[in-house]
Amino acid sequence: MIQGYDVSTNPLNTIEWLFAAMECVHIASLALSVGMIAMVDMSLLGAGIKGRSPAQIQRATEIWTALGLMIVISAGLALFSSDPLRYYYSPTFRLKMWMLLAGLIFNYTIHRKVALSGSSPLIAKATGAVSLLIWISVIFGGLFFAFTAGGY
Amino acid sequence: MSLATISHAIQSSGLFTAVRQSEIFYPAVLATHLTCIAIFGGMILMTNLRLLGLALKNTPAAAVIESTRIWKRIGFVIMVSCGVLLAGSHLDKYYPNPYFQLKLTLLLLTGMHGLYFHRSVYYNASLDQNGKLPLRAKIAGASSLILWLSILTCGRWIAYYDDPNAIASLLRKLASLV
Repeated sequence: MIQGYDVSTNPLNTIEWLFAAMECVHIASLALSVGMIAMVDMSLLGAGIKGRSPAQIQRATEIWTALGLMIVISAGLALFSSDPLRYYYSPTFRLKMWMLLAGLIFNYTIHRKVALSGSSPLIAKATGAVSLLIWISVIFGGLFFAFTAGGY
Repeated sequence: MSLATISHAIQSSGLFTAVRQSEIFYPAVLATHLTCIAIFGGMILMTNLRLLGLALKNTPAAAVIESTRIWKRIGFVIMVSCGVLLAGSHLDKYYPNPYFQLKLTLLLLTGMHGLYFHRSVYYNASLDQNGKLPLRAKIAGASSLILWLSILTCGRWIAYYDDPNAIASLLRKLASLV
């Protein structure tokens, strides 16, 4: 895929603890990004913070979600670089990437619009539920990839 | 009876044997564990950021704590259930693992943390009075953040531990970096 790239020179493969540390960054920033999106989802589902509308939660969490997404994707790219072909040829990983793309697009289009506009309860609930399902499937995709591809 | 015998007896019981031997169940439980980190861990993270005065500044900290309490409790129950299934099915490997032992110790500390700040922060309806959070709220948020990030790190390191001298060599490596 990438001519002349030797994975054995990647610091993630040469420094014993670096891969695990990068995974920790990936998981902590997952909690930041998906956790903040989930707070908006809960709010859309009618189980958010008392006295706060989905729009208020959306505005208050936006910056943290963006920060979390930037870190989680950067750490993910770093993990990917440790063995690109193994990831590239895994159907589970590809599914995860499609779900991630769907999640990102959904988050910055419909999800954002519905949260900010105060749509009808039915649309709000459906949006919150879809968002949660997409992100949970991204997480399951990542974990099942690690298992099917001989990781841990 | 030694700890090794007890661990082996526990992991040999029906439920834990089933978890260990199923190709789908073990990763599914692990994925659920991870999902809980994302959703409920995210709530803990947000509460701590609020206590530190960094996020959700227009919402009273007491409201953030109160509204997320029930979800954190539900999340905690699912999380611990997953943890029991994961550790119980490989207890032979888990109990001598120093990162597992450290993780349990840190979990105990978070319990003590919750008790310690129970009245002054977590069940304090007048936490936001004067429009400024007291110092102890910030201390509670910062220490909770450190505890949970350490628990997460220990959790990940459990999987990589196979060398009885791992901690000693890790400490040596850290020392050599300084």
